[in-house]
Amino acid sequence: MREWEREKMNEDNHVVDKTHRPVRVLGISGSPRRRGNTEQLLDRFLEGAADAGGETEKIVLSTLDYHSCKGCNACHKTGVCVIDDDFIPILTEKVPEADIVALASPIYSMSITSEMKAFIDRAHPVWAQQFKLNMVHYDKEHFTAHLGFFLATSGMGRSDIFDYAYPIITAFFNGFGYGYTPDHNITAPAMDRWGGIKEHPTALASAYLAGKEAVRKLEKMRSDEQSK
Amino acid sequence: MGVHILAFATSPRRHGNSETLLDALLDAMAAEGDVTVEKYALDEIDIRPCRGCNACEKLNRCIIKDDDLHWVLDKIIEADIVVMAAPVYCMGMCSQAKALVDRMQVLRSRKFVLHLPVVPAERQGKRLGAFLSTAGQDWDYVFDALKPVVKCFFHVMDIKNRDISYLMVNSVDKKGELAVHPTAIADAKTLGTQMVKEIKKRLAEEGK
Repeated sequence: MREWEREKMNEDNHVVDKTHRPVRVLGISGSPRRRGNTEQLLDRFLEGAADAGGETEKIVLSTLDYHSCKGCNACHKTGVCVIDDDFIPILTEKVPEADIVALASPIYSMSITSEMKAFIDRAHPVWAQQFKLNMVHYDKEHFTAHLGFFLATSGMGRSDIFDYAYPIITAFFNGFGYGYTPDHNITAPAMDRWGGIKEHPTALASAYLAGKEAVRKLEKMRSDEQSK
Repeated sequence: MGVHILAFATSPRRHGNSETLLDALLDAMAAEGDVTVEKYALDEIDIRPCRGCNACEKLNRCIIKDDDLHWVLDKIIEADIVVMAAPVYCMGMCSQAKALVDRMQVLRSRKFVLHLPVVPAERQGKRLGAFLSTAGQDWDYVFDALKPVVKCFFHVMDIKNRDISYLMVNSVDKKGELAVHPTAIADAKTLGTQMVKEIKKRLAEEGK
């Protein structure tokens, strides 16, 4: 284990007081195509969040230098990953320190892209920390104070097109203690038929609204908490 | 002529559970005689993620020229039986396997956009696919989310649903657990034997 990781694990992230800073919103795009339908959908979500006072950041996985999980299971013993690349600061700092995380991916071959899958596979250490090592436990409050969203686009319009991505996204958010419920899916199917996200009747507006409402919800929770 | 069998061990862990399952299947296939078995580990070849550029819809080939997809695609088209073995990571196939599936976009474009044949008409219905998987979790639904992905992989190479076999073993997590599983190895061997018998029967039939 690297020294900074050990230090990091010794700190208790849960006691960090997040209430006196803006709501942090992290958007992660798994599309290999820059500024395509999926990234536009994510941009609208982040705009909504920013308009509600959130502090937003966007990460585009295809621009990063990363490796896929090796399946070595070293994290089952140590709780940390043996690979050192651009995914590490996202997985060990940015996601744990955010309040809202939006994963965005187009559907390729009935699931998320391999970039997004590589990112999620690399989150295995957080699973190991919880279920192999009992180092971390997320209580109910953690799941209500951290919101996970899934933004997705698809070329095809078949009714089950997003269904096989949901269990993967659920696995990711469970690992980080983020509340992810079916109403946190913002999906834009049948891009082939609509000819792009801008022509879709509701997707961009829904993403904007979802981003805005997510930040407002957390801010309201904080002010309710303080007035107790 | 013999039966061409092409297999992909997609797990980043060499000789782990999913590859052990694959090896049992391939051993049984090889034992049938008059077969050539080729196995590639994605850990040792270079298949990068699809860029989503859709250039293959016009070019009929992938724009990424410097990885191994080109010869892999040729082999996929030549094979009579295509087998993929993939472990379940986070409720889906490992990302290495997903990259290979996504790169089949070239075949999808060929078939559905350019309306060109993927295999010649006389080989239609004379190809079989198998998908082998292992998962650490014991949930019986742990494979549900990856089956539609597997179907995409085989459909674009002209292997239909009825010609895809699945052997998916849950509750094997640690290295070596598959080898001591009560039924998995025997099931893989049975499936291997059956598939070779079936493909030989089909190849012997007169072309449609």
